[in-house]
Amino acid sequence: MSKNYNVIGQSKPKIDGPEKVTGGAKYTGDLKFPNMLHGKILTSPHAHARIISIDTSEAEKLPGVKAVITHKDVPTLKYGLSPARWDENIFCSEKTRFVGDKVAAVACLDEETCYKALKLIKVEYEVLPAVLDFLTAMDEGQPQVHEEYAKNINTEIHQEFGDCAKAFAEAYHVRTDTFIGQRTYQCPIEPHSAISMWDGGKLTIYSSTQSPHYFQHYIAREFGMDIGDVRVLKTFVGGGFGGKLEPTGLEFAGVVLAKLTSRPVRMFYDRAEMFAHNRGRHAQQMEITTGVDKDGKILVAHANFKMDGGAYTSLGIASAYYAGALLPMTYEFDNFKFDMFRVYTNLPACGAQRGHGAPQPKYAFESHLDNVAKDLGIDPMDIRIRNARRADTVTPNDFKINSCHMKECLERARIISGWDEKKKNKVPGRGIGVSTGSFVTGAGYPIYRTDMPHASAFIRVNEDGTAATLYTGSVDIGQGSDTVMCQMAAEAMGYRYEQMKIVASDTETTPLDFGAYASRQTYMSGTAVKLAGEEVKKQILDMASFMLSVPPEDLDCEDGIIFSKSREDKSVSFQEVARKHFVLRGPLLGKGVYTPPKLGGTFKGAAVGTSPAYSFGAQIGEVQIDAETGEISVLGIWDVHDCGKVINPRLLHGQVHGALFMGMGESVWEEVLFDDKGKIINPELANYKMLTAMDMPPIESEVIDSYEPTGPWGAKEVGEGSTNPTLGMFSNAIFDAMGVRVNSLPLTYEKVWRALKEKREREEAGEGA
Amino acid sequence: MYMPDYEYHAPGNLAEACALLGELGGKVTVLAGGSDVLHKMKIGSLAPDHLVSLKNLKELREIRYEQGRGVVIGALVTHDGIYRSQLLQEHFLSLPMAAHTMANTQITNIGTIGGNIVNGSPLADLPPILVALGASVKLVGRSGERVLPLEEFIVGPGKTVIAQDEILTEIVIPDQATTGSTYKKFGLRKSGALAVVSVAAAVTVEGGTITDARIVLGAVAPVPLRAKSAEASLKGKKVSDAAIEEAAAAAAADSRPISDLRGSDEYRRELVRVFTKRALRKAIDEGHV
Repeated sequence: MSKNYNVIGQSKPKIDGPEKVTGGAKYTGDLKFPNMLHGKILTSPHAHARIISIDTSEAEKLPGVKAVITHKDVPTLKYGLSPARWDENIFCSEKTRFVGDKVAAVACLDEETCYKALKLIKVEYEVLPAVLDFLTAMDEGQPQVHEEYAKNINTEIHQEFGDCAKAFAEAYHVRTDTFIGQRTYQCPIEPHSAISMWDGGKLTIYSSTQSPHYFQHYIAREFGMDIGDVRVLKTFVGGGFGGKLEPTGLEFAGVVLAKLTSRPVRMFYDRAEMFAHNRGRHAQQMEITTGVDKDGKILVAHANFKMDGGAYTSLGIASAYYAGALLPMTYEFDNFKFDMFRVYTNLPACGAQRGHGAPQPKYAFESHLDNVAKDLGIDPMDIRIRNARRADTVTPNDFKINSCHMKECLERARIISGWDEKKKNKVPGRGIGVSTGSFVTGAGYPIYRTDMPHASAFIRVNEDGTAATLYTGSVDIGQGSDTVMCQMAAEAMGYRYEQMKIVASDTETTPLDFGAYASRQTYMSGTAVKLAGEEVKKQILDMASFMLSVPPEDLDCEDGIIFSKSREDKSVSFQEVARKHFVLRGPLLGKGVYTPPKLGGTFKGAAVGTSPAYSFGAQIGEVQIDAETGEISVLGIWDVHDCGKVINPRLLHGQVHGALFMGMGESVWEEVLFDDKGKIINPELANYKMLTAMDMPPIESEVIDSYEPTGPWGAKEVGEGSTNPTLGMFSNAIFDAMGVRVNSLPLTYEKVWRALKEKREREEAGEGA
Repeated sequence: MYMPDYEYHAPGNLAEACALLGELGGKVTVLAGGSDVLHKMKIGSLAPDHLVSLKNLKELREIRYEQGRGVVIGALVTHDGIYRSQLLQEHFLSLPMAAHTMANTQITNIGTIGGNIVNGSPLADLPPILVALGASVKLVGRSGERVLPLEEFIVGPGKTVIAQDEILTEIVIPDQATTGSTYKKFGLRKSGALAVVSVAAAVTVEGGTITDARIVLGAVAPVPLRAKSAEASLKGKKVSDAAIEEAAAAAAADSRPISDLRGSDEYRRELVRVFTKRALRKAIDEGHV
């Protein structure tokens, strides 16, 4: 793989950098249209309540109010993201199911009038008993969140691969641990917003979205429209992390308000409303049992989970399957059993957050594995290296692994962190922990059933050859995909990155792409872009062949220069050839499309977790614990990732840092908290403690020299994989520091303090006896 | 998240401001930096009929030393202004450092010392160290002015003795006999954190003997709380780990914490002990820091 590339593999500056740092970049909420109205949604103040009546008459009379809508004014078709459970309505008609459930909406001349109008809508509720604890939600006598889903069961999974009973019987050591994962929220810095407008029968929506395509699909479905009559596009997006993958009330209500008023309607969620809309990480109870041989080789694992889905499904069925599906990735074992109940509660709906279902189960498994290692007297690093997955293997649940450098990641992390040295010379209160992670490089199957390709792209070379524009449906939400796509296009064309332009994420002008989720774009969108670039290159070489009188096989093109491979005197600029192409042959266009191969097994749920390629990574973290207060200081983190060929190193390490930032928050600091009525008590950034720049430790991020045979130039994912090991890594580092395990996330200072106190008390009692 | 309707006033000077406060009917709120007031209005916990901005009262933005009175801090000095004040840094660095621990840059750039006090929050960062340093506040109203110890000014969560027509204009820190003071705050992240527990300590040590001590606890009582039995336990004692430990335990017993989303009462009580110990050690060993 020693080929030299001209554009990829380099830290090219972000294509949108200047616009962002100068403040020129416009986000959806910054846009203004003539006659634009402002809209706002009225939500339920009760976790579970029957709607007796809604009286909008006073609100309608308020000057400046242009429309007031309730369930009577909107389609009754239920929607959701996972097609197996469409269970959400634009507005509640009979009852509300969480504090924040949508009841009505207004469109007004200005924002202030919206708030006043909302106060004038009179809703009479009969408050019902609510289901707030997911662990008892299935019990007899619990209220029903949805009448049609008995015992509040939203998703039930029972999978078994291999012969688990036999493997447990034969195991040298069997251990069970139970862990709890908390609710967290993605907290993108840019709030959700949408501007909807109609032109006759055509609908246009600007939205802060991770997937214009899924928005287009689900909005067209909801309103019974042809896909072609719905245009969804984004401008700049300030982060999504899984929380902006599905249309919200902002789009659904906005579409109706815009139709009724014949004016553009701008809607947004404020921070508290974002927390209520949620779709963040599920809380989970995770019981893990493994059987190992005397050397710590894992023979069998059983994951027995329950997760809190909240009031609606969102993408939660996939989250539930993912929780188990990605457990047998980083370690090789043949026998695996997975049981899961995802239950409904009267709390905000959960969905896909960075790493999707994987980070918490990984936390549980990695914490458990350290406990097993301790039982057997094996170094945590050694037990992982012993079990590390190898390339060209198949997981028990039928995922085919091509490239995989799990062992090398661990060994490299061991060296750069000084693992052995630190293990040998223990400092009181200081601990070091290791964990692994893996993630899909794009999902093998789309979210809704379709045979459409997953990604496509066009390139149009400007008529005079001085620029080329890439048209892609891929979605840059801050991670830098526009930059990476342009690098890939330029590389494939033999063109210069600096001359690339991009039009992206507009369902009307750019070709289909499923968007920014499941860490898919560099690989899937990138493959389509590469093919488009190669199609341009083929045409440009053919044209140059004609101009230079050299056979096309003897020509190549790099960095905007076409040259003969055999004769030094024969060369011509890309620009000149492109211009000639337009004059003689018409527009110089390239197109590419990507469809993954058929992947996975045939069992129920086999599709979730399939991917054409998987990333692998190891993380080590070192912490210092203040025994008197439980305060955790993070001394350093070392991340080694196997992500295939790196297209843009700076952006790659940025993804690792960002993933670590989120993973750190989830490990120790972040948790969505509720009062006993189901109302969030910290829907703001003072008490929902996202970390600050001040809290970030020194991070060493490295990559293993790796090549994924199926990926564009050998690339695979990085965006989510680095979140997966983090929670377990912190759990293990804290365990190492204290010699006692906290079994629930977040691993707060107070929990750590309490664990140390109880340990001390046990030791004192032991001494006294 | 929107501002309810209110009438806005920006009087040109202190006399006008006091007169206005006396005349206005309904609910009146004085606006300084706004970091508390505007937030409360946005979340709906405060809905005044009138907002009276002090932005034109430029004389309240100064910090100066007055012979006989001590350091006089105008109520509109921002937290950042306190942090950067050379005068304060020279007299008692503990106060600038306390201002520096507060919230984050956005807040310290706009929030004021007067606002931080009048807001009456039990977990505010400046009152504990100010009480420890024996600060007093000056209140100016239509009918005159009064000066009272800060300790007597805050009487409950969000409650102070200020009258509707009064404006807190100055905070005065008297010349000190103290030999050291410091403010220790325990928050749950390094920036933008609210105090789970805070402890301010000011000590007077003469020839290895503690002749006086003031210990003020934040976030563990309805008001910034003097840990009086802890203070008493130190008086006349030789400096020693045992004396400090004893005082720390007494401070924990003096505290009256509640459980909330930032910590349980049990945890807070223990944190009071730990941070009283650390604050005393630091003030004794390092002076005003």
